[in-house]
Amino acid sequence: MEILNLEGTEDTPKIMLDKNNGIFEISGRSLPEDSAEFYRPVLEWIAAYGKEANPETEFVFKLEYFNTASSKLILDVLSALEDIDGMKIMWYFHEDDEDMEEAGQEFSELVEIPFEFKTY
Amino acid sequence: MSEEILKALTQLFAIITKQDSGVSERERQYVINFFQTELDKDSVKEYLELYDKFSEYGQTSEDDNKKRLTSVRDSVRTLGICKKINKTLTQKQKVVVLIKLFELVATDKNFSPQRMEIINTVSNVFNIDKEEHELIEHFVVSEDPKSLKFSDILLVSSEEDEGNTTYKIIHGHIEGSLVFMRVKSVDMYFTKYLGEESNILNGFTMQPNRIYLFSHGSTIKTQAGDAIYYSDTISHYNHELKTTKLSFTAIIDELQFPNGAIGLRNVMISEGPGKLIGIMGASGAGKTTLLNVMAGLVKPTKGQIMVNGYDINTQKDEIHGVIGYVAQDDLLIEELTVYQNLYYNAKLCFADFTEEQLHERVMEVLTNLGLDQRKDLRVGNALDKTISGGQRKRLNIALELIREPAILYLDEPTSGLSSRDSENVIDLLKELSLKGKLIFVVIHQPSSDIYKMFDKMIIMDTGGYPAYNGHPVEAVTYFKKSTHQVDSNRGQCETCGNVNPEQIFNIIEAKVVDEYGQPTTKRKITPPQWYELYLEHFKINKVADVTEKPPHSLSLPSKLKQTIIFTTRDTLSKLSNKQYLLINLLEAPLLAFILAIIIKYRSSPDGGSYMFRFNENLPAFLLMSIIVALFMGLTVSAEEIIRDRKILKRESFLNLSWNSYLMSKLAILFTMSAIQTITFVLVGNLILGIEWSMFLPIWFVLFTVACFANVLGLNISSAFNSAVTVYVMIPLLLIPQMILSGLLFSFDRLNDVISTKGKVPLVADMMASRWAYEALAVYQFKHNSYEEPFYSFEKVESQADFKGSFLVDKLEAKLKYINDNINTKSDSINKIIQKDIAILQETITPDYFKKGLEEVDLSTPWTKETFTPEFRKTLETYLGNYKKFYQDIYNKAVSARENLSFSMENAEGSTYKLNDYKNKYFNESLSDLVRNVSVKDRIIEFNGELIQQINPIFVDPQPSGIFDYRAHFFAPSKNLLGNSVSTFLFNSLVIWLMTLCLYITLYFELIRKALTFFGNINFPIKK
Repeated sequence: MEILNLEGTEDTPKIMLDKNNGIFEISGRSLPEDSAEFYRPVLEWIAAYGKEANPETEFVFKLEYFNTASSKLILDVLSALEDIDGMKIMWYFHEDDEDMEEAGQEFSELVEIPFEFKTY
Repeated sequence: MSEEILKALTQLFAIITKQDSGVSERERQYVINFFQTELDKDSVKEYLELYDKFSEYGQTSEDDNKKRLTSVRDSVRTLGICKKINKTLTQKQKVVVLIKLFELVATDKNFSPQRMEIINTVSNVFNIDKEEHELIEHFVVSEDPKSLKFSDILLVSSEEDEGNTTYKIIHGHIEGSLVFMRVKSVDMYFTKYLGEESNILNGFTMQPNRIYLFSHGSTIKTQAGDAIYYSDTISHYNHELKTTKLSFTAIIDELQFPNGAIGLRNVMISEGPGKLIGIMGASGAGKTTLLNVMAGLVKPTKGQIMVNGYDINTQKDEIHGVIGYVAQDDLLIEELTVYQNLYYNAKLCFADFTEEQLHERVMEVLTNLGLDQRKDLRVGNALDKTISGGQRKRLNIALELIREPAILYLDEPTSGLSSRDSENVIDLLKELSLKGKLIFVVIHQPSSDIYKMFDKMIIMDTGGYPAYNGHPVEAVTYFKKSTHQVDSNRGQCETCGNVNPEQIFNIIEAKVVDEYGQPTTKRKITPPQWYELYLEHFKINKVADVTEKPPHSLSLPSKLKQTIIFTTRDTLSKLSNKQYLLINLLEAPLLAFILAIIIKYRSSPDGGSYMFRFNENLPAFLLMSIIVALFMGLTVSAEEIIRDRKILKRESFLNLSWNSYLMSKLAILFTMSAIQTITFVLVGNLILGIEWSMFLPIWFVLFTVACFANVLGLNISSAFNSAVTVYVMIPLLLIPQMILSGLLFSFDRLNDVISTKGKVPLVADMMASRWAYEALAVYQFKHNSYEEPFYSFEKVESQADFKGSFLVDKLEAKLKYINDNINTKSDSINKIIQKDIAILQETITPDYFKKGLEEVDLSTPWTKETFTPEFRKTLETYLGNYKKFYQDIYNKAVSARENLSFSMENAEGSTYKLNDYKNKYFNESLSDLVRNVSVKDRIIEFNGELIQQINPIFVDPQPSGIFDYRAHFFAPSKNLLGNSVSTFLFNSLVIWLMTLCLYITLYFELIRKALTFFGNINFPIKK
């Protein structure tokens, strides 16, 4: 499978999806102009990955900020991950960032995937 | 609204308003207003606290200057709330929520990107279409109606339509603009007013720039007095309306009932597509009559009903499938499920559909009517309810809707329904009318909401006079005005918008009061007076006739296919009726068992075990079998058509084949009869020990009789109106069959008027039982294993014996009488001599034995003069020889028979024992019966003929021509067009022929027509 690698900017997160090396990560800030368009390749990649998934997947979210529109897309990403066996979400938040921690908890209630919360 | 949802909404409001600059007072006020409409006073406080908490109202932001971003927690919480809402609210409700959100933001015009982004996301999660989202946003937010460049926007303003605008515009006397928006996906309409006037929506003053739901039956009254009705507004959005080519014109000058009373006078109705029209009136005013006349069920005495220029009474073929009719009572097949009812109906309408398409169509209609959850429930009847009254009604409507008739008539579709169900039903009709259908509804005591949903109301007065034709709400004012009431310009309650249709009838039927203040029976304004007013006020313009054929989507299957569909449908419905099935299948073997056990009588001379030979009851058993077959055949079919009448009435609009329908009935009934008779014969024969070779013939005769009875039953079922009448008819049909079966009463000993000696009487020839009985008895006697090899010998024996010992004696006696009295002068004796001479000649002429008569002229009639002494001598010698000849034949036949039985018994390896066979297969009683041994006079004289009374089973009939089918009872063979045919075959053929004739009368419904003809004869009764 091809590696999906998007460099992060001020408004878009860094995305690294690499099946062979077991790296799945979305990090940084997410407030793209058109969030649906931005996350489309990610969702496509996950759909393809779902067909030949690794037995274990640790998907890392290490976000500093995302806007409301992005939150919908993150939920879509999580929903897509929900169907893959051996999925686990690593939710990183800055130790001062209560908002991000609670956001992670809210997400974990909306989908049925084990969440692990970590600070950085 | 549930607590959970309200909490969710509160949070949503809070999250949106707390963004950037935080909650403003006006926004908070909006939320309070919202709570006040949804909640009681105490709860408002509770929810407001909740709102304040979530929105951090009153908390000062630490960093006011910085433009804050929406916190990630709020974003995710919004998602959570929306997901929750998605699970409980319908799409319609979600649209309302979205509008509320926009309205909330619009109160302060604080359309910051953060807020809008949240709302965008909400509508995204709600799966609201992007374009509709944009439409809603603009509709709520914009204050300039001209900026609303959407085709789903409709403006009412005083300005003229300038053309080439994206939005629709209609002219009205109004300051500013009234804006309507359609949300197409959920078929909802919203309105708001931009201007200074106070307009009234359903009795409430419209606040400027506030969004109102514009629901079914809503009206807006402008300050200038214009009324904007829901249906009028909606019609602007509908394109289907304009494409439906339909014109309906009913001109009924007069309708006279058979008893002479006048049902309708001078009713004229002319409408185009897309209207929901109500018909109201006092009871007995002719509402249903009017509906039936318009639907073409009853022909008007004077006048005609035209659909697209085709007369519905004379040009039925041109417009078949265009009309749908939902009667007041249920027209459902109770034994079938909701789905099956619809499915088979659809199958009859759409020949060119595949199974899949059919299924889809059925499911679509079921879903539209909210019946999809109930699809596998049996319909049941009033006593055995499985689905509710409202669901039954909707299913009735569904049966018509599935084929989408362009004109639909409904007779009191809401009677007996709860107000909620009633509204559902009318709402559904409203929706259909908006799709271009023309719908007429007879309605009784409608609620205000229902009343207002109609586009037009036709009010009938007692005696069939039209009293009103126009907008429903205006009707109230019209009648009030006509009677000069004070508040006459008020049609509906100003505060609640309610219309009270009862008022109309109170006015129409107001009674004159006598001097004591008691209402009399006299009306203040009589129907003709109302009719005069009607003529003054209502000019009904005939809509232009559409000349093309009306739209219909019907394609009927071939007749054979129809038969198959009818058969499957009926079979399924019968199979699901366990009681019916059980009784019909068990009835026959049970009756056979009871009958056979009771009559299994042993009268063998040695007093030993039961022997078939000595069972004296066999002849009676055969008769009873036939009666049972007749009875079962009749009962199983007698209710068939009556039960289906209502379904037939509905399906009459489809022009289905009557023949196919009848054929399906025959297929089912004949199968049922075959099963019943098989089990009957099987059980009966086993118990009585009737041999197996008799099984098929007996069964065939009984089956034939049962089929005859089936068709007879269908005849009476189609002729009479109630099941009771039909069951009363059964004895009337059965008892003559018993009396004239030939066993109970001998045909020779009946009333002289009907009996013919030596022949079966003609009345009896009309009885299937007599043919069947003769067939069974003759076959059983001739073809049982004992008799079969000897029958031909015994036939010769019996005839030779008869001639050699009885007939010859009679002839000799006659000759002697002539000899003794030839010279008499007495007229009476001469007469006897004349007759005797004729008898002698007629008996001798056809006889085989003619030795000694070579010189005698047989062709010219003999007279007294012929009887010279020589001639008499010749005859005497002849008769002597005659006697000898036949006695000789008799002896030869006896010895031949004995030789045969001896050789059969003594053949090598033979197990044949004459006596055993006789005991097992031969029945003495039956033999006595068909040989008529009990008769006193073996030979009688009748009409100048000598008739043999004894041994009818051995006498072949002497037909007088090729069409002479008549014979004596128990004749072994019959004349069929000059050929001698076995009685068994001949009689079976006769019964099938009778069955065919009955089918023809059934097909043309001759009995029914005859009954109606006699029913229509009026006997003038002096009053």
